[in-house]
Amino acid sequence: MNNTPWSQANQALKESHYELLCLTATADDTITATWLNPADGSQQSLNVPVIDQHFPSLTPTLLEVAWDEREIHDLFGYLPEGHPDLRPLVRTPRWPERFFPLKNASVDPPPWRALEPDNPAVTVQGEGVTIMKVGPSHAGIIESGHFIFSLIGENVLHLDAHLFQNHRGVEAQLEGLTVSEVAPLISRLCAADTVSHQTNWALAVESLSDFEASQTLEWRRIVLLESERILSHLNDLAQIPAGVGFQVAHQRALAIKEYWQRGLLLIYGHRFLFDTVKPGWAHPGSAEDMIALLDAMAPKWKAWRALVEGHHGFQDRMEGVGIVQPIDAVHFGAQGVAARAAGKAFDARTVLPWYRSFDLQPSISLAGDVKARFSVRLNELDESFRLVEQACTLLRQKGNLLAGNDLTQGASGRVITFTESPHGLNVHDVVLNAGHVTRYHVRAGTYRNWPLLAKTVAGNTVADFPLINKSFELCYSCNDR
Amino acid sequence: MVWFVQCVGIFLMLTLSPLMWGISQTVKARMQGRHGPSIVQMYWVIAKNWKKETTVPEFSSFVFRLAPSISLAALMVVLITVPVAGRVPNPWPHNLLTLFFLLALERFWTGLAGLDSAGTFGGLGASRVTTLGTGIEPALLAAVAVLWRISGHTAIVPLATVLHHNPSNLLPWLLASASLAVVLLAELGRLPVDNPDTHLELTMIHEATLLEYNGRFLAISQFAMTLKLTAMITLGWVIFGPDLPSLWANLAVRVLEVGVSAIGLGWIESRFTKLRYFQLPAYLAAAAGVGVLAFYLLAGGLTL
Repeated sequence: MNNTPWSQANQALKESHYELLCLTATADDTITATWLNPADGSQQSLNVPVIDQHFPSLTPTLLEVAWDEREIHDLFGYLPEGHPDLRPLVRTPRWPERFFPLKNASVDPPPWRALEPDNPAVTVQGEGVTIMKVGPSHAGIIESGHFIFSLIGENVLHLDAHLFQNHRGVEAQLEGLTVSEVAPLISRLCAADTVSHQTNWALAVESLSDFEASQTLEWRRIVLLESERILSHLNDLAQIPAGVGFQVAHQRALAIKEYWQRGLLLIYGHRFLFDTVKPGWAHPGSAEDMIALLDAMAPKWKAWRALVEGHHGFQDRMEGVGIVQPIDAVHFGAQGVAARAAGKAFDARTVLPWYRSFDLQPSISLAGDVKARFSVRLNELDESFRLVEQACTLLRQKGNLLAGNDLTQGASGRVITFTESPHGLNVHDVVLNAGHVTRYHVRAGTYRNWPLLAKTVAGNTVADFPLINKSFELCYSCNDR
Repeated sequence: MVWFVQCVGIFLMLTLSPLMWGISQTVKARMQGRHGPSIVQMYWVIAKNWKKETTVPEFSSFVFRLAPSISLAALMVVLITVPVAGRVPNPWPHNLLTLFFLLALERFWTGLAGLDSAGTFGGLGASRVTTLGTGIEPALLAAVAVLWRISGHTAIVPLATVLHHNPSNLLPWLLASASLAVVLLAELGRLPVDNPDTHLELTMIHEATLLEYNGRFLAISQFAMTLKLTAMITLGWVIFGPDLPSLWANLAVRVLEVGVSAIGLGWIESRFTKLRYFQLPAYLAAAAGVGVLAFYLLAGGLTL
């Protein structure tokens, strides 16, 4: 199974340090793997046909696609031959047996089955091992995830995370929609990465319509993308102290985040920046107001940074907890902060041409622990402040009014677009036919990091799980497409 | 007269405990830059839970239903043995060892109830509560041994009286009180040992044993929690604090002292992060170690 030309070709790209953008199945019985060359931003696509509902699995040689193939198995019914773990990922036992929503959605599905037991979980057997189930409903206001811990005393032996509890069927819903109908749905895919998702969609349509984006448009998008990163990182940084009972830092960071969101509401009309980017367009906002907001934020942010960096108890608490090994970051295809804090230097912004003139400095750490992820976020936040300010200054000096572009007419073709969302490399695989969506696949940054989190938690104490979990701060909504 | 003042004191402790809880919560909220809930919120919470329907887990036994009452009863006995009005003779037993036994009894039943709740977190909490107990008790005993060595008593009133009229042995006395203060944070389930405000089940210690409770049982447990806080702080002040000649003045000062301590507690909890679970034995061992050191200083005949 490891020697099929398909697996060898993918293996070769992985070994040349290409970044896997996505593994997409389409209803015409094809599996496509698209890789990105981080050196020059070029893409390379590989295909394998699905024959008689079977295709060769890549998982035995390419660990990071384990979930993608399980998802294809659940939603298309294509069987990845040689996959070591084909338990349902998205499906629940309630789904009708022969119902594959992305393959035979038009067929009336047989009725939903009565409530049945959960999907099978992987647990450790043996004397003294206890199984602890947490969720899918939690005590705090957080999303639904079912975590099955195998513990020996206070130590975690294994974690099996059952996510996809609120699967929304967005990819199926998008099929058949016209270009103008897609944007509001994509904007609401995930409140934490919304600008990144919207930008991916806009880039896809623009690329298929041969639209040349002006510099003003690119700067506006940089301001929006970085504003989103500031919002998301502030939230994530606020959650980490809460994991160790450092309520003062937690609440004060939330207050700064609230201040930022009120500013965004005034400037962009939305606290989460929904509907701010569309094909050929980006919300103009106000460069002056944005710079004023940044200036007002700066002292609050500096005071908070001094508070957490000067608190020895807090710093000590994060050190050596939840260590991601650099080799795991590569094997699991980790993205975003989790990857950069474990020595994997990839940041999609360095590949995107419109970021080039901004001299971006990715923040990297080799330690891989909670402290590393915390400090990488601190540095990235400062970098985002700088980028917003720089882009706003450019907009003020050279920005011009944009003519409205109507990009809603019949584009056709397939394109794969990506941006660096606050949670990592965010990829959209879009197939359009005469202005209608025929396939839309979203592979968000957190998708690769969830299995890595489960691996990382093993060996730590269960009381540290909230801390480790919050240092990854993975998105549920991006999975529950 | 003594009786009357003592009874008023007990009544005050019973009625003001939720307020003391509220004071420390308000201090914490203010330090976090929040307005926070009302200072009397705990009264409403207890009253609300008291009025709610009470349910018990399907697989629990009488232990689960009995535990809150036993915890409350144990703490009530602690409360009435504390000579809150001052160092006046107290007719019922008020030995420090009895007192610590009562605390252990409360801990034992809390742990048992956690196990009996048949919930995942209950068992985890029970394991943690009892594990911590094995560290708390030696530290408490070491401190009591020091006080006994200085005063020749383990009963609260004579012990406190001797301590105050015999101001030598200041160093061991201070060490013992420091050790007690540190270990009391653990006994009361406050930071840096346990975080009473968290909603993160996996990090909980004491709260985890209460997760399955609701309605009246929860109200009782919450009231017991506030009572424990007030009783322990009052006890500390009775032993280590000043003693005024007037009973009424004494009582007034005591209320003030507990209020100030609640503010201090809120401040301490805002300054510290929760320790790693496996650092807690070291934390408690340090407290016990200080107590043992004080004892050896005394046994070696050192007087300062």
